[in-house]
Amino acid sequence: MHILKQAIRGLTASKSRTALTMLGIVIGIAVVVLVVSAGEGFKSYINTQVAQIGTNTVTIQTQVPPDTKRRANGSGGAGQANQVVAITTLKKKDITDISRLKNVAGVYGLSTGQATVSYDNVIKNAYVTGSDAERFGIDKGVIAVGRGYTKDEDRSLAQVAVLGSSLADNLFGLQDPLGKTIRVGDYAFSVVGVYAPKGGLGGVSEDDQIFIPVTTLQKKILGIDYYFYLIASLTDNTIADTTSADIADVLRSNHNISDPNKDDFKIQTQEQNISTFATILSASQILLLAIAAISLLVGGVGVMNIMYVVVTERTAEIGLKKALGATNRKILLEFLIEAVLLTVVGGVIGVLFGALLAYGVARGAQAFGFAWAYIVPVRGVVVAMAVSCAIGIGFGVFPAKNAAKMDPIEALRYE
Amino acid sequence: MNLIQLTDIKKVYHNEGIDTPVLFDINISVEVGEFIAIMGPSGSGKSTLMHILGFLDRSTDGKYFFDGIDTTTFTDNELAVIRNRRIGFVFQSFNLLPRTTVLENVALPLLYDDSVKDTKTPAENALIAVGLQHRMGYMSNQISGGQKQRVAIARALVNNPAVIFADEPTGNLDSKSGATVMHILQTLNDTGKTIILVTHDRVVAEHAKRIIFVRDGRIESDELVPTQRRAQNIVTED
Repeated sequence: MHILKQAIRGLTASKSRTALTMLGIVIGIAVVVLVVSAGEGFKSYINTQVAQIGTNTVTIQTQVPPDTKRRANGSGGAGQANQVVAITTLKKKDITDISRLKNVAGVYGLSTGQATVSYDNVIKNAYVTGSDAERFGIDKGVIAVGRGYTKDEDRSLAQVAVLGSSLADNLFGLQDPLGKTIRVGDYAFSVVGVYAPKGGLGGVSEDDQIFIPVTTLQKKILGIDYYFYLIASLTDNTIADTTSADIADVLRSNHNISDPNKDDFKIQTQEQNISTFATILSASQILLLAIAAISLLVGGVGVMNIMYVVVTERTAEIGLKKALGATNRKILLEFLIEAVLLTVVGGVIGVLFGALLAYGVARGAQAFGFAWAYIVPVRGVVVAMAVSCAIGIGFGVFPAKNAAKMDPIEALRYE
Repeated sequence: MNLIQLTDIKKVYHNEGIDTPVLFDINISVEVGEFIAIMGPSGSGKSTLMHILGFLDRSTDGKYFFDGIDTTTFTDNELAVIRNRRIGFVFQSFNLLPRTTVLENVALPLLYDDSVKDTKTPAENALIAVGLQHRMGYMSNQISGGQKQRVAIARALVNNPAVIFADEPTGNLDSKSGATVMHILQTLNDTGKTIILVTHDRVVAEHAKRIIFVRDGRIESDELVPTQRRAQNIVTED
């Protein structure tokens, strides 16, 4: 107990120096807590996003066959050029055939483009998503007002549109968008529905997009007859992998592919999507934590530096204590506890500061419409405190040893 | 009763390959209750002798019996324990902890003795013994030099040591405060406490009962003081 009191006396002797020394630890620990907390927030966001698309879906995307890539890799930069080669093989027949599979409840295809969308004098550049009318039975997005378009409208190349909530707000403000005519590129479209807000990053968020019948987009605007990707919903998600294999068989047969290495498509179940996100998330978390670790290392060296100064400053005091019967161990302990107190207090401030920052990030994300939960995991706090404690011991032990091995006579003489 | 027995103590400093002998064949015997002044000019080796006597340093050769026990082979930790339980130190420059109360300064030696549970009562009693009970809560920098040295004496007393070593205790004090400090040391000796004083000042030394004169690392004389000077408690309490 008295050792703690001594340590507090030592640390309060030079308050600004103590505060500056703590700063490195505070920043490092704050980043650790922020990264862990923001990671949890991001996960919660991904989970809601996934739930919105539907957890029981698989996505079929086109891709340049891996085989082609391998060949292209040999010629250096050419691999990049290959990426922009459009794969044009995903057709209506694929959708029909996939929908016949046993476990497939529904399929819809999508093509996308970008166009200026305007109403009155308001002009917006927006992503245009063309999708089959089946979308409205599969996607979890809720149409707030109006309706989705129908199969008949799709078939007849009807110029009808469903708007994302932000886009509708931007174009119409307080007016009722239903039945109004907007321009998409050179074409006039009639607004038949508006989605409820979904959340997501501006520009990429579905809230900023316009949804039109895919055939209209393909035939009238893009002049193509293929899909960019398909989404299939499954009856039984537990056999998603088997169904994926069945879908692959259908596509290979339709696209005349015998070698899986020449697949011009890629099938991802939602679980794979989630694990992809998880991989990206943990990779970026590791990167950020590495930065935090460097900050903590620098902070630790700062602590060590200051503790060396403190030991020198208190040479006479160490001499006195030794003369009065303090053993080397007691002296070592006193300085070690002082260093640990320094880093632990820094750690506590860092945790609070990091939690505050994470709260700011969460509120910021929520303000942009992300379903972002504010979570400070206990695990993160425990790790942060353990780390600050370890830094105090690790970087405090050498200066403390210096103090402990001082010769009492020499130390007493020190002025 | 014999407290200290030094037999043929030698001390040689080794520094960068050069041996510097500072003490030669020192033989001293101290009985319980003595008041001894170790005198000598600077460089005579009197401080080294006090450091060896106070277990702050080790002799190069010879035997040191303390309370009948041979301490020559003691480890650093054992020496620390002896200093803590059996020795009290008073230094010329007081050596009080800054930003710490008088009471806490006095209690300091007890903090390094794990067998002591109550550090406050002995510290209070020690302060009463030096007449500073009314300064207990003061910070160590809020009191005068004379009071600081009395706090240091209280600190030396708090563990009820077998012997108190005072190294030039009046060296940094005015004559009145110095007299008070000597008066306290004499009062303690009157109650049976063994005191060993180190000084270069003949007048201060004559407050002891016996003077050991050290010159060039050897004991030049070891004599009883014919008439001990008695210090008056001059400082009227403020």
